[in-house]
Amino acid sequence: MTGLARAGKTAFLTSLAANLLALGAGQPVLPGFARRLGGRRVQVALAPSGASGLPRFDHPRHLAALTRDPPAWPERTSAASMLALDLVIGRESLGFALPSQRLRLELLDYPGEWLLDLPLLRTDFADWSAAVLRRLQAPAVAPHAAGFMAFNSALPAGATADESLAATGHRLYRATLHRLRDAGLSLLQPGRFLMPAPGPEPAWTPFFPNLGTGGLESLLARRYAAYVQAVQRDLQEPMFGNLDRIVVLVDLLSALHAGPDAFGDAAAAVSAAAGALRWRRSWIEAAWALGQLRLPPRVVSRVAFAATKSDHVAERQRGNLAALLRNVAEGGIGDAPDFGFAAAVPTSHLAIAAVRCTEDFVWTLDGRPVSAVRGRRIGDERLLRSYPGEVPDRPPDDAFWAHPFLQLPDFEPLRPPQGGRGGVPELGLDALLCFLLDDVL
Amino acid sequence: MRVEPRIELEEEPAPRLEPPLPAVVAADTFAPPRTGTAALALLGAVVLALGLAGLSVGNFVADQFARATWLGWATLGVAGAGFGLIGAGLLREVRALLALRHVDGLRDAFASGNAGRMMRAAVSWSHTVPGGATVAPALQAVNDPDAALALLRAGPCRTLREDADRLGRSAAVQAVAGIAAIPSPALDVLFVGWRGVRLVREVAALYGVRPGVLGTLGLLRRAATAATLVGAASLAGNTAAQALLSSPLLAHALGDAAAAGVAARRLVVLARATALACDPVPPG
Ligand SMILES: Nc1nc2c(ncn2[C@@H]2O[C@H](COP(=O)(O)OP(=O)(O)OP(=O)(O)O)[C@@H](O)[C@H]2O)c(=O)[nH]1
Ligand SMILES: [Mg+2]
Repeated sequence: MTGLARAGKTAFLTSLAANLLALGAGQPVLPGFARRLGGRRVQVALAPSGASGLPRFDHPRHLAALTRDPPAWPERTSAASMLALDLVIGRESLGFALPSQRLRLELLDYPGEWLLDLPLLRTDFADWSAAVLRRLQAPAVAPHAAGFMAFNSALPAGATADESLAATGHRLYRATLHRLRDAGLSLLQPGRFLMPAPGPEPAWTPFFPNLGTGGLESLLARRYAAYVQAVQRDLQEPMFGNLDRIVVLVDLLSALHAGPDAFGDAAAAVSAAAGALRWRRSWIEAAWALGQLRLPPRVVSRVAFAATKSDHVAERQRGNLAALLRNVAEGGIGDAPDFGFAAAVPTSHLAIAAVRCTEDFVWTLDGRPVSAVRGRRIGDERLLRSYPGEVPDRPPDDAFWAHPFLQLPDFEPLRPPQGGRGGVPELGLDALLCFLLDDVL
Repeated sequence: MRVEPRIELEEEPAPRLEPPLPAVVAADTFAPPRTGTAALALLGAVVLALGLAGLSVGNFVADQFARATWLGWATLGVAGAGFGLIGAGLLREVRALLALRHVDGLRDAFASGNAGRMMRAAVSWSHTVPGGATVAPALQAVNDPDAALALLRAGPCRTLREDADRLGRSAAVQAVAGIAAIPSPALDVLFVGWRGVRLVREVAALYGVRPGVLGTLGLLRRAATAATLVGAASLAGNTAAQALLSSPLLAHALGDAAAAGVAARRLVVLARATALACDPVPPG
């Protein structure tokens, strides 16, 4: 599963776990998926974690928070954790003599900021610095980065490896990243500067992009290499362990609100991350594996793109949202052409809401009926009616940006039936599961 | 013209939203019931009983005429009244069954995806339910099946469902009170069963389906399907029952009579399931 910060990864995993466990307990959840199973019984259990060093995804805690009155959303994730579920699916009537079918679903939750560290694994310090510094000069970004850029360009090319220089540059760069995030941008690297790994900060942390030639540059480059190694250990290895299918979660609605720059930036970021996941398919890797007399790694067999939080718009608009996602993913916008998947991989584009918060209703605005949604905000007893704007079905043009798309309110989740044992109300999760698992069901 | 986006708070406080009932009540789950062997045999028995009875009554009337004309007329009058009442009862049963079929037909129409058919079904249903008259003009005006369904859901469906819930709750209260008063567990079961059947008929009447005996049976069957779909278990823990049972008065009356609590929950579920079976509008 990939998704930028706040894309809805933790909410998605919580809902997936709760709903699948409820399905296994015979509750009427995920109707589309149940229909796809066609009457076969399914047992669902949390998989034993064996000797894995990764913490388990704490879905009971997140579920309890969503269920409680008043509910609470998961906090920002600060470390990687693994959700592993075992599905045992019975056979249809004629196949009763065959053993049941077993599936193991493993999904990794991690801070969204870290996702953008994956492309670093393929980039060396000089290239990375050049790319970052180029981006920081873009007109939309430059005002936020003025302090750091002034400091960086004032550094002499052959500056010596001075710890205080490194620390100051690092502080300025980090502050810049925070400001850019507040401005709604997403392509911010390295991710751990925004969301540090738990525990004390490693000594290699203070570095920043720099194009010098002296001792300082080589110190920064060595620190960058140490950073990349940590990324490999903490994120890449667990994520690539058995990577077979990918869910790309994209919060398109918030991006529509944040404006053209942020929208393009989000698309570029997802594209970079998804591209990083593609190396698995590279021929070098296959050749290397064959050279060691092993089978080449499995290629990614399915990719599902999902626009999250689609309960912020009414049913009628969710179709548009999925179409927009398809167009962004396939056609690309601006200088972020594509999400990087060959057409050969089966791909689907959906609009989902992992944790549904609203109900649709018809709102008469300016004398015209409009499909809108309403729900309560956390801590408010009254219903909030929301019609944030029309969702375009293709990458928005200037005419679209001329009008505002309102900010998504912080809705409170619908009450999960039976304190969460009856699953979590959702939209479209069943369609997503049907697509992802279609060939193994 | 472009509608300005906006976000507004409503005036009144509202409870936390609940998920809608599972949207699985598709047309195919209510496949028109086929006539079973037992039903055929029963029909045969009825025809025999009525037919033979009619024939022998005819004989009898003829005999009476042979005795005295006035006696003949009087006997004919009595026989006519008796058979007339039976006929009226049968007619009612047939009409009730047809009404149920009509609901199935509407449900098919709504699921068909054919705009014209859906609109016709929406308008025709709105004429048969209370509160439908208020949305009927709007239905004609929007002429868009999705919008029409949304209007129906927001208007009549919602009030009907709330009314059904209310009926379910009052039945539950009565069941609890009744169970507290009835000394024998066997009678409890009878009482709750009777109250359940009455509840089904009440809810159906609410939806303009006035079931007779056979109609009630058909409804009970449909409600049972709906209840499995809804997941009786999932509803049993649901708010309506919860709210009911958290009332201090009832908690007192209930004491630790767990059976009464279960029966009360079941009645609440039954009301919802019946409502679901009588409501042709697909959940949104
Ligand atoms: N309405 C609605 N809001 C959602 C949904 N999923 C997530 N959100 C909102 O999005 C916020 C972020 O969701 P998370 O699941 O924490 O996002 P994340 O991807 O785990 O974020 P990081 O841990 O920071 O990477 C939540 O706090 C909710 O406010 C959804 O299905 N519907
Ligand atoms: Mg998270």
